[in-house]
Parts: sequence; C-alpha cells; structure tokens
Amino acid sequence: MKAAIQHVLSGLLCLILSNAQAVEKITIQLDFIPDIEDGKTTFSVCARCHLPEAWGNTDGTYPQLAGQHVNVLIKQLLDIRNGTRRSSLMFPFVQERTIGGYQQLTNVVAYISTLPMNPMHSKGPWGKGTKEYQQGKKTYKQFCASCHGDNGKGNNELVYPKLQGQHFYYMSKQLGRIKSGLREVHPAMQAVVEELDLEQLDKAVNYASYFAVPKEDMAASKTWRNPDFK
Amino acid sequence: MANRDKNKLSRRRFLKAGVAAGALSATALPLQATAADASMEKAAKLPFAITKLLNEVTLPDTKGARVVVVGGGWSGLAMAKYLKIHNPAFDVVLIDKRPEFISFPASNSWLADQVNLDFLTHSYIDAAKSHNYHFLNATVLGFDRESKKVFTSNGFINYDYMVLAPGIEYDYSRIGVDDPVAQMQLYNNFPGGFVNSSELITIKRKLNTFKGGTFILNVPNGEYRCTAAPYERACMAAAIFKKRRVKAKILLLDMNADIRIKKQGFEKAFSSLYADYINYLPSSEISGVDIDEKTVSTDFDDYSFDDAIIYPPVRASSLLEDAGIANMKTAQKIANTDPYKYHVIGDEYVYVTGDSRSQPFSKGGHTANSEAQYVAEVIAAHALGKEVRWRSPQTMCFSAVDINPLQAMSIITFYKFNKQNKEFEFDRTHMMEDWNSEGGQASLAWAEGMYRDMFYK
Repeated sequence: MKAAIQHVLSGLLCLILSNAQAVEKITIQLDFIPDIEDGKTTFSVCARCHLPEAWGNTDGTYPQLAGQHVNVLIKQLLDIRNGTRRSSLMFPFVQERTIGGYQQLTNVVAYISTLPMNPMHSKGPWGKGTKEYQQGKKTYKQFCASCHGDNGKGNNELVYPKLQGQHFYYMSKQLGRIKSGLREVHPAMQAVVEELDLEQLDKAVNYASYFAVPKEDMAASKTWRNPDFK
Repeated sequence: MANRDKNKLSRRRFLKAGVAAGALSATALPLQATAADASMEKAAKLPFAITKLLNEVTLPDTKGARVVVVGGGWSGLAMAKYLKIHNPAFDVVLIDKRPEFISFPASNSWLADQVNLDFLTHSYIDAAKSHNYHFLNATVLGFDRESKKVFTSNGFINYDYMVLAPGIEYDYSRIGVDDPVAQMQLYNNFPGGFVNSSELITIKRKLNTFKGGTFILNVPNGEYRCTAAPYERACMAAAIFKKRRVKAKILLLDMNADIRIKKQGFEKAFSSLYADYINYLPSSEISGVDIDEKTVSTDFDDYSFDDAIIYPPVRASSLLEDAGIANMKTAQKIANTDPYKYHVIGDEYVYVTGDSRSQPFSKGGHTANSEAQYVAEVIAAHALGKEVRWRSPQTMCFSAVDINPLQAMSIITFYKFNKQNKEFEFDRTHMMEDWNSEGGQASLAWAEGMYRDMFYK
C-alpha cells in the first residue's frame, strides 16, 4: 500500500520566497510506504478515545474511521494539525511533537484501513419508503452523487470521503459545522452546503446512511472486538 | 429578553446614597468610643454596602436572551463557549469568583514536576474573548428566581436562563468532624486539594519538604470528585518521596472496600513501583481526625501521622441551597432536576450541570465538558421551542503512575439509562490499564486539548 501526501509545504516556501514579487505555488508530493505494525502502536493512543475498533458512536460524537479511505483520513489529520479543521481535543494529538511526522501518519491510517467496519452504524430517522427518504434520495443524486458516488463509496484517489457506514448523526453534525463556518472544506462541497438548507442536508445524509456496506468490509458481528487491543 | 432596568437604582439616587454614606462614615471614624456611636456608624455604613449590591452590573447591551452561567470550572467554561456556538445571539455571562483558572486535572503531574504551573494556568479573559462571551469576576451571593436575578459581589444581573455549575464543597461531617471550627482547622492544616488551587500549592510544598515518617492520604466514599485522582496522587506522592530519597510511608486509607477504578493498573503500580512507600488500606471508614494529636480514627484503628492530605466526602455546592433547589435529604444535597434535560423540575430556565449535577455521572473534567456541550444545545433548542436528542456524557480519565518519563493509563466510559431500575449505568467502557510513557504523553495532550477547547480559538 502506498499513501501519498500533498501538503502545504508550498505555502511555507511561498512565505520564504515572497520578499518582493509574487511567486508561483510549488506543490511537493511525497510518497511513503506505511508500516502497519508501527501504525498499530500509534493507534493505541487514538484508541483511548476512538476505541480499538474505530467504529465511532451512534450519537455522532465520534466518526466511524474503520473503512474510510486512507487519503481522506490523512487529509483530516493534516487539516486538524494545521487548524483548517478545528478540533481542540484532537489538535495536540496530531502535532508532529506527539504523533510524529508524515511516516507515522501514514502508518496509523494504514493500520486503521485494516479494521473491519461497524455492522450496526446508526441510520437516520426516515426509513426507506418514507417521503423524507425519497426527498433525500433526490437531493443526494442531484448534489452529492457526482463526487461521493451513487452508493456512497467515495474515492480514495480524489480524496472524496466514503459515506457508506458513517453514522447519520455524525454526518448531520459535520454539515451543521460546515454551514456555520466551523469546518472548512473543499469549495465544491462548501457550495453545496450553502445551496441547501439544514433540513435538505439532513435528508440527504439520511439517505446516505442507508447505503449498504459491502459484507466483506464489515465485522462479522457487532460484538466483534479488535484482538490487537485485548 | 432580560429586563435590565427593573429595580435599577438611578445614578442620582446611587450617588446620593454613596456620598452620604461616605461622608457619615468618615466623620464617624474618630468617634467610636460609645456603643451608640458604633451602632450609628454601622447603620450609616450598611446602606453603602447594600446600594453597591443592588446596583446592576454594567454589561454591553445585546438583544439576545441572556444566559448567566454560575461557575467557571470545566462545565461552566464549556457551557459558555457552546451556548454561543449553538446560538450566537445569546448574551452569555460567565461568573466566577476566581481571577484566573488553575486546572485540577493534570495537577497531580504538576505536584511531581512533570508540567509547570503555566501549563495549568489559563485566563478567563482569554476564554471570554476567544468565544465571544462576557466574564464577570465576582462572587455569587444569592438569587431571586421570581424576578430572575443573580446577586453578586459586583451587583445584580438579570437572566433569561441560568446555568448553575458551582461544583462541590467538602462535607467534613461525613468523616465525623461536625464542629465548624474544627472543620476549618482541619481544612487549613490538611487541605484535600480538590476545591481551591491554594490547597494544591500547599500540598506541593508539603510533598516536596516532607522530612519523613507517616504521610496519610485518603480516598473518600460516595460520589467524590475525580474517582481515580486520590490513587493517582498516592502514586505521585510516592514518586516524589522516592526521588527525594525520603524515608516515608504513605498510608492510603480507602473509605471504599476496594480500589474504585483502574484497579489492576494501580495495584501493579503500588506493588511494582512503590512497595516500600505505599501501604494501601481498604475499608478504612474514617470516623474522626484529631488535629492536635495528628491521628485519624477509623472504625477499626487509629493511625498517627506526621503530615496528611485529608479528602473528605463531597456534596453539591451550597449555592444550590441558596437558589432554593437543593434537596437536603440527599447525601450530596443535590437538586431535583430532569435527568435528560438538566433543568430544575418546575423551572425550565434554571439548569444544574458539572460536579453539582444530580445524575450519578463521574465527577471530572471531561465528563463536565462533554455534558456541557450537550446541555448548551438543549438550552439553545429550548429557546426556539425545540428539543434535542439525549446523548451520553463521556468520561475520559488519565491517571499518572510514574515520573521521568511520565507514565499513565486511561479509561473512557459512556453511560446509558436503565429503564427497569430507572438509573443511569455504565455503557461501553474501554480501559487501558497498561501504563506507559505513550499514555503519559497522551495524558498531557488530552489536557492541552481540553484547555484549548475552553480558552483558545
């Protein structure tokens, strides 16, 4: 497995070079081969809050990390590290002085990607067949599907988060945070969130919360416990 | 909207009263010889003090409903911040009598010099500025819930909503010390270190200057603040004595039948690191403390000591009594509140959170913070005539057991309501009792993250 990191090192270079004339942005792409064993050690710190299965919780206070694309996870860690995504409690944990450099970040996301997903993630309040579900489906198809996919699979290469298996209340809370300016996201996503009201957004993620998670991605039962942290 | 002009003294009336009182007391000063003069002076001075209290605190005028948060601990600080997040139009005023914030969580690591005082110390001014609310450095004196007023040492404030997060007080009567003077002496000589930051500074000095002999620490019973902290503190005290090479024996008198939390981790620390220092004595119900003789009595034995930290059982702050909402028949003198929505039964404009809450959740910083995030949402929804879904507070709790490098273990737990017993109980709990230096580093990252949440952007 290979995880790529594109980082705002370019921003730093700009700052150094920006004495007089405007300079062009330079993007550096770095490749790392993750060390999953080391990632497991790092994850033991994450597991203190996220729990060893990284399944999140139904009330939306923690997301399901298991099954998420590695590039999406990396982007969140870097966004929290540089303050783009505000999370006071996560902030010190993802600093270089605590978790380590890019290598450690790739190690830990690679470890997380080995974990099976929660077979009982929380779904939205409007079940299949309800009017709200249908409305959400329409909104999803129109505004969300082109990036996140018809089945919510997302895209690792393009860093579109997987929505399959994500807790409804987590997605709903994040959309609220984006709408009120507490979370900065890709301009395309930002535009969609601004276009729709909270009710429409809730219905869209309600629909997304009913996407089937492929059986091979899921743990055998909801009582499965991560054997690495017995 | 708070009616801010109600009962307000006019500036003219205030000046008149103030000047008159000032003039009278100045001329009365040299004439204190007779009882009649003294009582005249008293009568003349009283109105000045009262007019000050009856004046309304000056605050910028805003249009939104005012929420007054009483107590700037871990609950009140998160409450003030998240009230503004969930409803930026709220006019939020946080009141605390302390001029600055010194953290109790992570303070045991400070006792053993693993962090410095700057790490624990934060500014209420920074907190209020970062999160757009007002901080009032004043002591709350009482309430009038009819006219929705809080009286403080700086004057009164009208509220639309009030959140009481005043924390705990020691209850010395539950260790057999009933006389108020004896309670005060016990507090001043052997403070518990869980209420006032001066207690912590005293404890640090004691541990770092102790010349040897018997040092008593105890674990209270009931729902005391920070379940793991007394055991953690025993470890830190032992680590300090070990480092200083003092011939000292810590008697850890546990008023409970067994270690209450992280039992395996603490047992391992007691036996593998501090076998020569800590003598753990469970089921030691303290029934009295003799300050002059320096002895602690339990139902079975008397123990003499050279120095001690006496942590009595706790109760909810007596401000709940002052607000007329405490049920004095309950052991912790708690209020009768809605277990899900936190408001006082019969008054949906007054809420009780943090360590003085009525629910039996673990009393500690993380619990208070996560709970406040939820209750702030409840209040914001209430103002719109809406409701939010209940969610469990989380208790994230680190305990340091060794120093240089700092080593710690952790537990995270959630709660659920058992509909059959009608009681809250633990939901999923995850223990990481194998303490190590990663845990020590994580414990400080956790504290830093929490301070960041409360005080900075």
